[in-house]
Amino acid sequence: MKTIEDRIKTVPPTKLIPLIIFAILMIIVPVFASGYILFVAVLALLYASLAASYDLLFGYTGQLSFCHGAFYGIGAYTAAILTVRFGFTFWEALIPTCLLVGVLATIIGYPALRLRGAYFAVTTFFLAHFIYLILLNEVELTGGPLGFRGINPPEPIGFISFDSLSTYYYLVVVFFIIVVLFLYTLVNSNLGLILISIREDEVLAESMGINTAVYKLLAFVIGAVIAGLAGAFFAHFFRLLHPTTFSWLLSEMVVIITLVGGAGTLIGPIFGAGIVTFLLEFLRFAPELRYVGWAAALIVILIFEPKGLIGLLERVRAQIKKKG
Amino acid sequence: MTSEIIWIQLFNGITLGVIYALMGMGLTLIWSIADLPDFSQGGIYIISAYSAYFAIILLNFSYFFAIPVAIITGMAISVTFERLLYTRLRASPNAALLCAIALFFLLENIAVYLWTPKAKIMPSPTKDMILYFAGIPVSFQRILIIIVGVVLFIVINVFVKKTKIGKAIMATAQDREAAALMGINLEKVYITTWALGGALTAIAAALISPLYAVYPGMGTLPLLKGLVVVILGGMGSFIGALVAGLILGLIETFGSVYISVAYQHGFAFIILLLTLVIRPQGLFGRR
Repeated sequence: MKTIEDRIKTVPPTKLIPLIIFAILMIIVPVFASGYILFVAVLALLYASLAASYDLLFGYTGQLSFCHGAFYGIGAYTAAILTVRFGFTFWEALIPTCLLVGVLATIIGYPALRLRGAYFAVTTFFLAHFIYLILLNEVELTGGPLGFRGINPPEPIGFISFDSLSTYYYLVVVFFIIVVLFLYTLVNSNLGLILISIREDEVLAESMGINTAVYKLLAFVIGAVIAGLAGAFFAHFFRLLHPTTFSWLLSEMVVIITLVGGAGTLIGPIFGAGIVTFLLEFLRFAPELRYVGWAAALIVILIFEPKGLIGLLERVRAQIKKKG
Repeated sequence: MTSEIIWIQLFNGITLGVIYALMGMGLTLIWSIADLPDFSQGGIYIISAYSAYFAIILLNFSYFFAIPVAIITGMAISVTFERLLYTRLRASPNAALLCAIALFFLLENIAVYLWTPKAKIMPSPTKDMILYFAGIPVSFQRILIIIVGVVLFIVINVFVKKTKIGKAIMATAQDREAAALMGINLEKVYITTWALGGALTAIAAALISPLYAVYPGMGTLPLLKGLVVVILGGMGSFIGALVAGLILGLIETFGSVYISVAYQHGFAFIILLLTLVIRPQGLFGRR
C-alpha cells in the first residue's frame, strides 16, 4: 500500500515527457510566431498564472472566491502608479505591490473566512465590484475612466532589455515557471495536504486540530499575491490600464478557466488558460455571444463533467483501457 | 429649503430600502432553505424587468398588468433553474453557487445580445403623478413601492406562519434532515421557495424600473445589495431583511448627499465587512 506521500514523490519519467515538450514549445514560440500570436501567448501565460494561483484556493482548499481579477487589477495599478508617479523601478515596485495586495487580502479574507458557508463567496464578489468602483472614481490616482498611461517597460537587467515583445515574452515565461514550481511544491508539501483536508471535510479537519480559518486565509493571501504580481507584469506589458479590464468579468473568466481545465489539478487550469485565451481571441467578432457561450459552457461542465478537461481525459483514457 | 431636501432624501431612501428588502426577502428564503446565495436572481431581475417593458411596449399592456407578467416570468425562470439545475447540484454547494453565478452571467449577456446594452425607459402612469405632502413633492411610484413592500412583507409573514407549506418551509430552513424525517415533502418546499424568490425579485424589478431604466447591467447592484441585506438582517429573517433594507437604503441616499456620490454603491460593502466582524449572525439572526 502506497501512502499519498510516496505517490507524490515517485513521479514516473513518462509523465515528464509532455512537460519537457511543453517547455521546449514555450521556448521556441517567438522563433516562428508572429507578433500577434506572441502577444496573445503573453496574455495566456499571465492568465495561466492567475488560474493556477486561483486553483490553490478553489481547487485545493475548496473555497470559492470571485475577486481574483480584482487582485490582478490592484497589482497592475499599484505597480504602474509606483513606477510612473513615484519613480520606482519595475523591480523595486514588485515588493510594495506584493505587500499591498497581501494586506488587503488579509483584511477582506479574515472576517469572511472565519465563517463557514457562502459568506466568503459573497464578500469577494462584492469586493470585485468595490475595487472596480475605486479604480473608476479615484481619478487623480488611477486616471479613472480615461485610463492610466505612460507606463514604461521594465528596466533592463544587465544587458537584457525588455523593450521588445519577444524578450518580454521570455520574462513572463520565467515568471510563469517560478509561479508553477512554487505552487507545485506548495500543494505537494504538508501544507498542501492540510489544504486538501479542509476541502474534503472542513469540520473533520477542524476537529483534527487544524486551524482551518488560518490555512484558508493563507491560501487566499498567497493566491492574491501571485495574482497581484501577474497584474504588475500585465501593466508593464500592456502599458495602458483601464478599469473595465479588471471588472468582475475578469474574475469570472478566471473561475471559468480553472473549471474548464479541471480544478484541483494545477496543470488543468494552466491548459485551460491556453485554450480559453486563444478561443476568446478567435471569437472576437462576436463579443456578446462569446460570453453567452462561456456561461453556457460553465453550466454544462458543472452538470456533466465537474472535473473539467482533465476529468474528461481521464474518463476517455479509462474507456480506452477497458476496451483494449 | 434644506429640510425639504432632507425629506425628499428620506422618501428616496425608504423606497430604495423597500426594493432592497424585497430582494433580500427572496434571497434570504432561498439561502436559508438551500444554503445557496442565489446569484441567478440578479439575472431574473433583469429578464423580468424586460418582460414587463415588452408587455407594455409590444402588447400595449397597462403598467399594472405588466407587473403580473414580470412576476410570472420571474417565477417561471426561477423554478425552471431549480428543477433543471440546482436539484442536480444539491450535493455540492460550491457547484450550485458556481452554477448560480453562471446563470446570472448567462442571463445578463443574453440581454446584451438580444436587446443591446442601451437603456430603455419604462412608461408608467404612476411615475409622473406627483403628490405633495406638506409641500414636499413625491412621485406616486415611490408611494406605490412603499405600499406594495409593506403589504408583501405582511403577506409573506402570514404565509410562512399560517399556511401548511409556509410552515414546512420554515421547518426546512431550521433543519432540513429533521423536516424530511417528519414527512415534509422537500421537493414541494424547494419549488415553492424558488417560486417565491423569483416572484419577489420580479416585483422589485418591475416596481423600480420606471424610476430608473431597463438595461442589461441593471441586475448587479440590486443583487449585491440584496445579499448584504440578507447578511446584515440575519439569515432567514424577514423582519431582518426589512430593517436591513431600510438601513441600507437610507445610508445610501444620505451618504450620497453628505459623504460621496461616487461611492454610493460602496457603502454596502463597508456595511458587509463591519457586519462580518462585529455581528456575523446579523441583526436578527440566531447564532
